[in-house]
Amino acid sequence: MDYRKLSEMIPAGKWDILSDKLIDFILTSKNDDKMPSRVANAILRQWQNDALKSETGITALLQAAILLEPEKVITAFNEQQMANVAEQIKESLKS
Amino acid sequence: MTKFGIEFVPREPYWKIIYYTIQAERGGFSNLWVTDHFNNRNVYVTLTAAAMYTDKITFGPGVTNPYMVNPVFTAQAIATLNELTPGRVVLGIGAGDKTTLEGVGVEVEKPLAAVKEAVDIFRKITNGENASYDGEVFKIAGAKFLFKPKGRIPVYVGAQGPKMLELAGRIGDGVLINACHPKDVEYAVNSVHEGIGQGGKKPEDVDVAAYTSFSVHEDLKKATKAAVPVVSFIVAGSPSMLLERHGIDVKKAEEIRHALKANDWGRAFGGVTPEMIEAFSVCGTPEMCVERIALLLKSGISQFVVGSPIGYNVREAINLIIQKIIPHFKT
Repeated sequence: MDYRKLSEMIPAGKWDILSDKLIDFILTSKNDDKMPSRVANAILRQWQNDALKSETGITALLQAAILLEPEKVITAFNEQQMANVAEQIKESLKS
Repeated sequence: MTKFGIEFVPREPYWKIIYYTIQAERGGFSNLWVTDHFNNRNVYVTLTAAAMYTDKITFGPGVTNPYMVNPVFTAQAIATLNELTPGRVVLGIGAGDKTTLEGVGVEVEKPLAAVKEAVDIFRKITNGENASYDGEVFKIAGAKFLFKPKGRIPVYVGAQGPKMLELAGRIGDGVLINACHPKDVEYAVNSVHEGIGQGGKKPEDVDVAAYTSFSVHEDLKKATKAAVPVVSFIVAGSPSMLLERHGIDVKKAEEIRHALKANDWGRAFGGVTPEMIEAFSVCGTPEMCVERIALLLKSGISQFVVGSPIGYNVREAINLIIQKIIPHFKT
């Protein structure tokens, strides 16, 4: 899955709310073991620089959240009227 | 000014703990404490990660013990951390959890001597001295680092019983009191002050912290729900004298103990009463927590440590503490 391309589909006006939702999915997930340390470290670096609401931050969060909680991510995009992103994620998960 | 500390248990993966630590540091917490139990992830690896991602928060094990880990190794780990982040590292040390230690065949003998000697050895060796020692518990022929440790590292002694509290006041730069209720904290602070006097120090020389089981949420029911499992374990491990001080039925505590041993969580958690929550946690809405913390501060503590579970949702709970609790104590 090309996470950068996915995050490029998200309008900047949605970064705040999506970042918040994705962080919540990741931190409350019971699927801790699915988190690759490379992605975890990327998220922490972005958080350290207070950049989780930037496009790079969203890219890292998306990757983690899709690995840990794919269904919740798809629902969140649909709720935010971004069915195109939700569809893209669904398609990528099938392949 | 009151200091706020936060405790994490590395049963959680490092990335969750570090996320919360960055959040806490940014919001005004001054101290990070990471627990040290063999059955969780390693405390020093977790603290190293915390050191790499933070700039100012003070941190240390909360607490290690002299039985599972030789104090020379503890000194080595802490001195190395202090090279990584000079001036931000402290040692938290106590007698350890008897049940956990006995589970791995480690006998907890002479806890007062063990803690005192461990602190002596730690201070000698981190001061660059040859730590030869002939104690009741530790006998060290000669141990000296082949590197030069940087600066003096404060030692916090974790304590609960009166003798350990007194020792902690006498030898510690700080004391970590395992208590949540003003009655218990006041009782503990008196013992600590006895020790401070014996050590020829003034109360303001020692950072006295209440190390609490904490749970906050805007909805009291959710705060309580998160606190119940932790309180059940505290009740099960508490001596009868302590339970009776809070008017808790010792038989009820015994039932919880049996249920926990049988892994019957429903019965164990279902046995937790509001009196138990009141005695062994700081739990409630932000307003209720502010009220309780204010009472604890009147008992003479200088640091309030927010410990497990912190809240129903840890990230939201930390935000609540930052926004609605800490500001009350910053003036």
